[in-house]
Amino acid sequence: MTIGARIPRVEDARFLRGEGRYVADLAMPFMVEAYVLRSPYPHAIIRSIDASEALKLEGVEAVFTAADVPADLGPIVCRIPTHGDLSPYLQHPLAQDRVRYVGEPIAVIVAKSRAICEDAAELVEIDFDPLPAITSPYRAIEPNAEPIHEAGNLAGDWGFDLGNVEEALKSAAYTVQESFSVQRHTAMPMETRGLLASYDRGRNLLEVHGATKVVHTNRNMLAGMLGMSEQDIRLVEPDVGGSFGARGEFYPEDFLIPFAAKRLCKPVRWIEDRVEHFGAINHSRDSDFVVTVAADENGIITAFDVKLVTDMGGYIRTHGDVVPSHAAACFPGPYKVRNYRINTKTVMTNKTPTGTYRAPGMFEANFARERAIDRLADKMGLERAELRRRNLIPAEMMPWHVGTESVKRPTIFDSGDYPAVFEKALAGYGWDAPFEREENGWLRGRGLCAFVEPSGLGAFEGVRLEVDQRGNVTIFSGSSNQGQGHETVLAQIVSSIIDVPVEKIAVRHGDTGIITFGGGTYASRTAVLCGEALYNASHGIRDKALKTASAKFNIPVEELELREGAVWQAGKNEPLITLGGIARILMPGNPEFLKPPSDKNIPDHDGLVVTSYIRGVPGGTWAFAVHIADVLVDPRTGETKVEKYFVACDVGRQLNPLIVEGQLIGGVAQGLGGTFLEELTYSEDGQLTTGTFADYMMPNVYNMPPVSTLVLEDVKPEGNVLGVKGVGEIGPSGVAAAIGNAIADALKSNTGLNILPFTPERVLSAVPTVTR
Amino acid sequence: MKPAPFEYFAPRTLDEALDLLESEGSEARVIAGGQSLVPMLALRLARPEVLIDLNRIPELSRIRQEGSTIHIGAMTRQAHALASSLVFEQLPLLHYGLQNVGHPPTRARGTLGGSLSHADPAAETPAVMLAYKADMVLKSKQGERIIPADEFTLGTFDTAIEPGEILAEIRVQAKPNEGAALVELSRRKGDFAMASAAARVSLAADGTCAEAHLIVGAVAPVPLRFDAVTDALKGQKFSEAVVREALELMDLELFEFDNEDISLEYRRKIGPVMAERALLQAFKRAEGMQK
Repeated sequence: MTIGARIPRVEDARFLRGEGRYVADLAMPFMVEAYVLRSPYPHAIIRSIDASEALKLEGVEAVFTAADVPADLGPIVCRIPTHGDLSPYLQHPLAQDRVRYVGEPIAVIVAKSRAICEDAAELVEIDFDPLPAITSPYRAIEPNAEPIHEAGNLAGDWGFDLGNVEEALKSAAYTVQESFSVQRHTAMPMETRGLLASYDRGRNLLEVHGATKVVHTNRNMLAGMLGMSEQDIRLVEPDVGGSFGARGEFYPEDFLIPFAAKRLCKPVRWIEDRVEHFGAINHSRDSDFVVTVAADENGIITAFDVKLVTDMGGYIRTHGDVVPSHAAACFPGPYKVRNYRINTKTVMTNKTPTGTYRAPGMFEANFARERAIDRLADKMGLERAELRRRNLIPAEMMPWHVGTESVKRPTIFDSGDYPAVFEKALAGYGWDAPFEREENGWLRGRGLCAFVEPSGLGAFEGVRLEVDQRGNVTIFSGSSNQGQGHETVLAQIVSSIIDVPVEKIAVRHGDTGIITFGGGTYASRTAVLCGEALYNASHGIRDKALKTASAKFNIPVEELELREGAVWQAGKNEPLITLGGIARILMPGNPEFLKPPSDKNIPDHDGLVVTSYIRGVPGGTWAFAVHIADVLVDPRTGETKVEKYFVACDVGRQLNPLIVEGQLIGGVAQGLGGTFLEELTYSEDGQLTTGTFADYMMPNVYNMPPVSTLVLEDVKPEGNVLGVKGVGEIGPSGVAAAIGNAIADALKSNTGLNILPFTPERVLSAVPTVTR
Repeated sequence: MKPAPFEYFAPRTLDEALDLLESEGSEARVIAGGQSLVPMLALRLARPEVLIDLNRIPELSRIRQEGSTIHIGAMTRQAHALASSLVFEQLPLLHYGLQNVGHPPTRARGTLGGSLSHADPAAETPAVMLAYKADMVLKSKQGERIIPADEFTLGTFDTAIEPGEILAEIRVQAKPNEGAALVELSRRKGDFAMASAAARVSLAADGTCAEAHLIVGAVAPVPLRFDAVTDALKGQKFSEAVVREALELMDLELFEFDNEDISLEYRRKIGPVMAERALLQAFKRAEGMQK
């Protein structure tokens, strides 16, 4: 059994040898390069575009503008349900007569090299009529604000009202009201986006390399936009250097590059550079909360009353409003609070459109809620863990229906013993252990947060499992792999059921040419959904192998077993037949077991192959987690050192503890970036002022504290056969909350630390004057 | 992110480079380690028509001692100077300053002269050279000019280098028997400082301060020298209290930078803290040398 084995990732060997193949490693004969000419204005009318001078430059093949795409080409649609109709805010692949953010695609230039493209771009004459730029969602919804879209700037105004919040607030013994702000930041995968599209006109086949995440969905969207059959388009995922939710969505370029290849009948490659990435990739977070939390005299939280404003940027993209939607649906977190009200406003501004980033909506909501709860504890004079302890949803109340929904799916915390995990976390870290409050003038503090994290969302997932004549096994997965380690984990699942070593199991993924349907990778779903489909397919292979051996050797199935890649008769020292042998027997046309020749159909001879599609559980499966941190703060400068960091969670069952730990540690690194460093800022006139890594700071090795983890396998979810919960987003989700609470503890002051990121200057401003 | 087209020359001697600089005129730009210029070229923020590459001129990248003067070629890599035992022994402040310049990969390419000529207000090398009162040797077809450090850095990205001139060498008096430190605060290690402080301290036989120098960087267009503070330290025994008292004399009105993300008020708070740390650290090192 290799499920649960702590084995290194099989894919790492090729990455360490430099044998990974990313989209920029691919080339084709006669290939040309594309460049996307982007708006320098945050908000402007386009009066005219003249590309004639650019077209004269040697090496330039074409310049495409909105006038070159079919007139009836619609905008890029939203792939998931939204709160209300967001269709008036969708983005066209190329700006039509108006641009709404700096970086919006206006034209595609195709030339023999990227450098020629960029020279040509300077020769394209565009007559802009600049309009006032709006960079604040509050300004955007003022009555006299310039409308960015005809439908107005307030795209959504919705919420939930559960129980009786008014009554709870009235009768509360304690209330705390605070505002919190989570800055705009986003995924910075080491590899930027890129596409290589080629079109075979004779056979009408379009192939696009560089796709990832949701390749089948994107293939279908592209087919619709190009008016082609889905089967005439193949999207292929190469090695992918990270995504974290941002890469692999259907962006304007996902239409434009295949479109250009089809028009020119030449392979066209576009590699996003980092400057483009900053302005073009979905931004994320950018949410403000006003939180009122009420409690009775015993420290029982009686209500959450929340106002949420999310800056959506210039357009609504494929994710719709999922970020504020998740935040609103899950705000109450792991607490048994029945009176919950939230109003959410989603607002259009002249900034890059937004989408999901690892732990979408959850990082934001956890920060606001858990900081507010620490305030409440302070106000009540109650120990911070104790306040949480009194309010956690007890195991016997599982499954817990929050009463909200997101993307038209009910929010149901399916399983778990939150209080038990909470106590184990506190004990595991030594929460109550005394510590030195001061060291060389620096102040030490400790903070924690508790939260729930969804996983395994999405309607379905599918796999096909094939065994060849030599007993090699190949998994064809409908999911995609962007560096999470699927090639290892998926092989482990199969290996544990049909007892073939992991090295003999190949994993192919992210390719519409290898499997008819696929869900893709998002919402920490692959272990949960792909895992279950593979479990079923592996059992299918096992049953088929045993049945075939039974027929061949005339031995009842009950006396047969499958191990070491072969079928054995119980008690015998030699195997009866290898899996490869079974695969040979089951080859179509093999006479060994053929029905009478008159029967043309050969139903049992479709190879040692099993396809399995499974449905998802509508609410997914939710993990409970606790983060704890110790920090040192210099009260004279606001410098903060995170001394140690701890993550505890119950994930049901670990498929590979090494990968689980890696996910958690990497996630904490990303969370620390969002807590201390990363921010996408705009000038008042709408220019992105953090457009390079000199200004947009990623965490590095110096920012990483030692991270320890406590991964529990106490309560297995019933919704999937492996009993697993996704772990991809538990790492970042609670970091800002735990760190904020730890700094406040160090300063012995809970005023401030409401605005992310925690720059030294902001931390210093939270230092009480007496301490200074 | 591809540079606009430019013509490229890679001369092998300084004379050749100066000839090119004269013949190509104002359209030409000199490139050293490229750690600042190459990104600016890629972003098309810098668009020189001609690039004169100094990387293949061996005579510009030597460190040598002549009497009590250390001569540092302008093309000396920061990594090379950081690893140099001559620098460590004779110019300890330069050694400690270079530890704060970027990261090992950028220091492997970046040069001392490039950093000084670029004159980023947050850069460490101008503060170090000001603390040493170093001389900058500028060469042109017309000959040589020697400019003291306090007249070399004129403002943000602005130096005394005239058209046709190349910073060829930095001359510094050896200071082997003193303690030095450069301390800075940045959002992330290796990033631009929000405030930095460079200190040199030499002690008399009785352990009191014989001489000290204090420079604060990254708070104004040029690094700032605070002689009032170091004068007050002269003859004193170092202690946290003594240093803090002397730092009361730091004229915070000289601080200028006020940005949306780093306010002037904040810089005025952290500047003296960096100075205190640098002075105390330099003192400890000086004390260590006496033992």
